[in-house]
Amino acid sequence: MDKKVIVLILDDEPIVGKRLKPAVERMGCEVEVFEDPREALQRIDEKTFDIVVTDIRMDEIDGIEVLERVKKKSPRTKVIMITGYAMMALAREAMEKGAYDFIAKPFTPEELRKAIAKAAEALGTPLQNSVTQ
Amino acid sequence: MTIIAISSDSYRMGREIGEKISKRLGYRYLDREILKEISAGSGISEGKLLKALEKTPSALGMSARDQAVYLAHIEKKVIGEFLKDNVVCHGLAAHLYVLGVSHVLKVRVLSNPEVLGKELAPGKDLSGDAMEKLIGRNENARKRWSLKAFSLDETDPSNYDMVISLNKIEINEAVKSIAEAVGYKKFKAMSYSLKCLKDEETAAEARTILFPRFPDAQVRANGPTVVVITKGMKREKQKKALIIKEMVGKIPGVNFVEVHIVNDILRQAAESLR
Amino acid sequence: MRESEKKDAVDSEGAAPVTLEGHYERIKAAESAKKGLLARPRYTFRMQLYLSFLLVFLFAAATGAILIFVSHEVEKKQRFLEIVNDYMLEVQQARRYEKNFFLYGTNLSDALENVYGAKTIYAGDEDELIRILGQVRHSQITKNLERYETLLKVLAELERGRADNISYREKIKEIEVELREQGQKMVSYGQELMKKEKESLSETILRSRTIHVYALAFLLALLLVNAYLLGRRILGTINRFSLYAQRIASGNFTPITPARRFRDEFTDLAIGINQMILQLESREAVLVQSHKMRAVGTLTAGVAHELNNPLNNITLTAHMLLEDYKRLSDEERIDMLKDVVGEAGRSKAIISNLLDFARESTSHVEPLDLEKMLKETVSLASNQLKLSGMKIELQSTGYLPRVHGDSQQLRQVFLNLILNAIDASKKGGKIQVLLMPADDPGYIAVKVVDFGTGIPEHILGNIFDPFFTTKPKGKGTGLGLSVSQGIVAKHGGRIRVTSKEAEGTTFSVILPVTTIPADISRSPTSS
Repeated sequence: MDKKVIVLILDDEPIVGKRLKPAVERMGCEVEVFEDPREALQRIDEKTFDIVVTDIRMDEIDGIEVLERVKKKSPRTKVIMITGYAMMALAREAMEKGAYDFIAKPFTPEELRKAIAKAAEALGTPLQNSVTQ
Repeated sequence: MTIIAISSDSYRMGREIGEKISKRLGYRYLDREILKEISAGSGISEGKLLKALEKTPSALGMSARDQAVYLAHIEKKVIGEFLKDNVVCHGLAAHLYVLGVSHVLKVRVLSNPEVLGKELAPGKDLSGDAMEKLIGRNENARKRWSLKAFSLDETDPSNYDMVISLNKIEINEAVKSIAEAVGYKKFKAMSYSLKCLKDEETAAEARTILFPRFPDAQVRANGPTVVVITKGMKREKQKKALIIKEMVGKIPGVNFVEVHIVNDILRQAAESLR
Repeated sequence: MRESEKKDAVDSEGAAPVTLEGHYERIKAAESAKKGLLARPRYTFRMQLYLSFLLVFLFAAATGAILIFVSHEVEKKQRFLEIVNDYMLEVQQARRYEKNFFLYGTNLSDALENVYGAKTIYAGDEDELIRILGQVRHSQITKNLERYETLLKVLAELERGRADNISYREKIKEIEVELREQGQKMVSYGQELMKKEKESLSETILRSRTIHVYALAFLLALLLVNAYLLGRRILGTINRFSLYAQRIASGNFTPITPARRFRDEFTDLAIGINQMILQLESREAVLVQSHKMRAVGTLTAGVAHELNNPLNNITLTAHMLLEDYKRLSDEERIDMLKDVVGEAGRSKAIISNLLDFARESTSHVEPLDLEKMLKETVSLASNQLKLSGMKIELQSTGYLPRVHGDSQQLRQVFLNLILNAIDASKKGGKIQVLLMPADDPGYIAVKVVDFGTGIPEHILGNIFDPFFTTKPKGKGTGLGLSVSQGIVAKHGGRIRVTSKEAEGTTFSVILPVTTIPADISRSPTSS
């Protein structure tokens, strides 16, 4: 019953998803990448993800809204916020609303992988493939 | 996964509350006892470190440069302890140098005026008016000190997450409230706030190195990058920048030092008058 | 542009001095104006005043001299009249004695004496008498007197030899007739003289009166002309200077150029005002620039955050390239490197937009496409809007004529209004920027609409005052709207505000559509 950890990555910057997908897949996760928050939310409604990584400032829908939607649908899902607009107030707001972690841009793939690994562990499905380079 | 920084107008009260919280939550308790350790590590006497936390620099007493150096050492050590997590800290001005760190719960405890009066003037039986004056003076002195040392007003409530007046609330109730607030998710540590704390530590370390020579330097760290802004005159710019880069570059984990030398207009004017 | 960008990057340390080429031009203009002003011949008001008073004094002195002369004349005439009177008395006396002689045979010697006296008087003022009577009449009178005297002497001769002369009576009779005749003549001559002299006197008195009247009238005319000339000069200059003051107040900082023929006290004032204009202008430039830098400071926060996105893209890509280098195909590597290059360019674009705005610029008037400019301004503020999670809508009615103006300065105005709107709005709110024809024909309106807290009515009248602010201490200088209004006024426009508490505020910038460039940096004012 070696179930894969399912991760959704949402960022309106296409490069973020493009680069993170292989980086996270290497950890042994199943990764879906979205640029449009609407599509991502639609997908979240259809499928339950273990971990959601989302940007906060996006044109159409705010990342905080995504967080709330995810938490409402599946409270056990760990949500990791990534944002270029990191500030104490925003970080606290995200945490209060149930974010698992909050990472300021720019970050390295390793930083996110650490956060994902931690989240996976907290979910009770620790990842085997810890990437060491 | 949270840190509590307590600031109080009465050291005794702050300590009492801090100790009670640490017992209740099972956190480590940190206060001026740690100055001994800092003294041993830095070679600065405990008395001087204590003075830096209490007195505003003056022409006759401690110089602003010395204070800056002493405070940088305290800051470095305290943040180092914070990074080990689950700490209750009191009396080390932590609330002033980790202001932007989201998982530090900053609490201001206002003590009962009578208790405070007794602490400020031990053994004296002061009238109400004299006491009020004494307390007012003390508050002004603290305000001056904090503005001088950290450009922040320690007595300004907007710099805290929580302000508790022991005049209205019992100590045990205060402890309970604080312990409850610690449980709020918003005070949980996260990658971002830990990074902020780590950056503060790096900056503090850079300050301990730079301040003895460049007391007016402003230091900020961002990951492996340290940014230093200091005043200088045109001709000494390059030399100064090189020296600073070398000094700060020695800190482990720092791989890039950016130095901005701002024209020292005052000194330039003074020299041109000569 | 590339060049100046480089310069910016190098000179980023320290406070930048305020440089404005237009300002230097203005300094040069002021210098040449000063030279021109000082080159005029010196003719001050003081000089004109002294000169006019001197003129009046000279005239009064001349009049006085004439009057003194005339009165002297009158005096002389009067004295002469007295002499003539004496002469007449002598003559009349002589004739009385003459009569007595013929009646009683006495007093002949007395008569002779009188005639002699009359002769002496007459001879004493002979010159004057000749002048008055003329040579002919003078010789007649002299002859007449001589004859009369001779006759009297003959009579006296006869009188002495009365005893031995038989024809004494006859002879006397003979002489009597002639003597009377001569006496008559003598008296009538005297009366004629008297009459003439009286006429001459009254004529002189009349002349003196005429001189008085004319002198007064002329003095009045002289004073009037003087007052007119001086008044015209002073009032004309004052009027001109009040025009200058109005011009300066409206923001036109062209120096005063020489317009009058002379250099005087007002020249010093003009030079002083020119100096003041330069000071004012540099102060204003500093104010506008420092306000701009404040806006830049506000924008920097947004830019710093926005930069994190391309930076993040670069970081991720570079790290993944490092990690997977050996596993990747050439195309994949090239794709990644292209991403890095692209994102680096994007970072630069984010900053350069702000740098462009921050750069000090010369006042440069050109036809402006407001819609394009507003788009740029909105994009400048976009990071700020993102930071506060706000949306902005830019709407234009389209097909609008261009306006003439300084794009940098107008951008500053619109940016300021947008930043104000952000401050006034709630998080997640909306701002509208509308571009449309204004109600007045020939004007275009730019409206910045927010749906925020609104401005209370009692302070609505103060919001354009310098240093008026409702923002917390340290957040606003209270100069934004005042500076903006100054800039818009220079463009011949105005800012209007309507606000309702809790509903929002609309700031309208109304700019004239100009066919001729509204010259805000230099206007050809010769004054």
